[in-house]
Amino acid sequence: MRAPGSFSPDDIVVGHSARMRAIFDFVKVVSRSDSSVIITGESGTGKEVIANLLHHSSSRRHQPFVAVSCALFSENLIETELFGHERGAFTGAIKDKPGRFEMAQGGTLFLDDIDDVPLSMQVKLLRAIQNRTVERVGGTRSISVNVRVITGSKRDLKKMVAEGNFREDLFYRLNVLPIVLPPLRERREDIPLLSDFFFRRFSRARGIETPAISPAVRYAFSRYRWPGNVRELENACERIVQTCTCGTVRTGCVAAGVLFGACDPVPAASTAELSAGEAQSISLDDRLRDVESNLITWALKVSDGNKSKAAELLSIKRSTLGDRIARCGLMDTGVAEAADVAVGVPA
Amino acid sequence: MVSRDQIESVLGRVRPMMQADGGDIELVDVQGNSAHVRLTGMCAGCPSAHMTLYMGVEMALRDEIKDFEELVVV
Repeated sequence: MRAPGSFSPDDIVVGHSARMRAIFDFVKVVSRSDSSVIITGESGTGKEVIANLLHHSSSRRHQPFVAVSCALFSENLIETELFGHERGAFTGAIKDKPGRFEMAQGGTLFLDDIDDVPLSMQVKLLRAIQNRTVERVGGTRSISVNVRVITGSKRDLKKMVAEGNFREDLFYRLNVLPIVLPPLRERREDIPLLSDFFFRRFSRARGIETPAISPAVRYAFSRYRWPGNVRELENACERIVQTCTCGTVRTGCVAAGVLFGACDPVPAASTAELSAGEAQSISLDDRLRDVESNLITWALKVSDGNKSKAAELLSIKRSTLGDRIARCGLMDTGVAEAADVAVGVPA
Repeated sequence: MVSRDQIESVLGRVRPMMQADGGDIELVDVQGNSAHVRLTGMCAGCPSAHMTLYMGVEMALRDEIKDFEELVVV
C-alpha cells in the first residue's frame, strides 16, 4: 500500500476509458490553479487518489498534503480537528494544538466526506475558506492560512443544497472546479487494466510471481457490479494474491460473492419493474449497457465466437462490435458457455 | 426438508464459470436441510478454494433456501 509521503503520480493507474482520460487531462489543467476543487464520486472511486494527484502535480507539491475525513469526527470534534485549539479551551486540552488547516500551511487540504459536515459547522468552514484565516477553539487570534482546499463528496451537493442540507454559499465557494468520478461499473473497460495492476503490486509486495488469470475469472470480474468500486476490486485482488496456492487465479480463488454477483441474471430493461408510484432512481446508462451486453453475448454465442458473423447478426460494423465488447467489459475469448448461462440469453 | 433441485439450482449458477476453469462443485448428498458437496478438478486440492467457495456458497444457499442449514465439504 502507499505510505503517506511516498506518493508518486507514476504509482497510480487511472484507466484508459475515455471518461478517466478526460479526468486525467482535466487534473493536469486545474493543478496549476489555486481554486477550490470538488471531487464527487461513490465510495471507493478514488477521490483521495485524484486529490493526491492534484497536489503532486501542482506547484505546492513540496508542501504538505493533509487529508481528513469529515465523517470521522463528531460535530464538536470536527471544529478542533480542523481549526485546532488553545491550551485550556476545554477539559483535556492540555496544550495548544494546531488544526488541519494550519498543518496544511502552504500546501493542500483535502476535506473528504464534506457532505457529512453538519450545517452549523458549514458556516465556520465557509468563513475559514473565504477569509483564509482560522481561529483555534478557545483562541482569539486569527491565523492566516495559505491552503488549497479540495473537497470530496459521495453525494450530489447540489441536490443537498436543494433539500436544505447543505449551505448554498459554501457550495458555490467549493464548487469552482468540479470533478465527477464514475463508478467502476460505468467504466468496465478499465477493470482488466486495474486488476492486472493490483495483482502485480500485491504479488511484488509478497515477493511472488504475478499469477496468471483464467478467462473465467476475467469474465466474472467484468460482470460483477463492484458496489465498492476500485477499492473493492483492490481488496479482491489482494485477497486472491494472499491465498492463491497454485500460481494461477481460477474461479476457486474468487470470493463466491463476486461469482454469484457476476452470474446474477440482469433484469431485462423491457421487463424491469418500474412502478409509477415509486420515485426510485435507476441508471439509464446501466440498463442500456446491460441490454447491449446481453445481445452481444448472445450473438457471439450463436456465431461460435466469430465476430464478423456476430456483427452481421446485430446489424453493426465489425469494428463497432469490437468497441462495444470493450465498452461492456465482455471478454474477447473463452467461456462463451459460462457467458450464456450467466446472462441468461436465449440460445 | 430441502430438495436436491433447490440446491442444484443455486449451485448451477456458478457452475458454468467453475467448469470453464476445469473445476466443478458436485452435490454428493442432501441430508435433512444440509448439503454435502465436493470440489473437483482444478481447484479441488486448494485449501483457499475450499474456504472461499465453501463459505460463499453456503451463504448463497442460506439466502435463497429458507430452511437451509449447513454446507459440508466432503
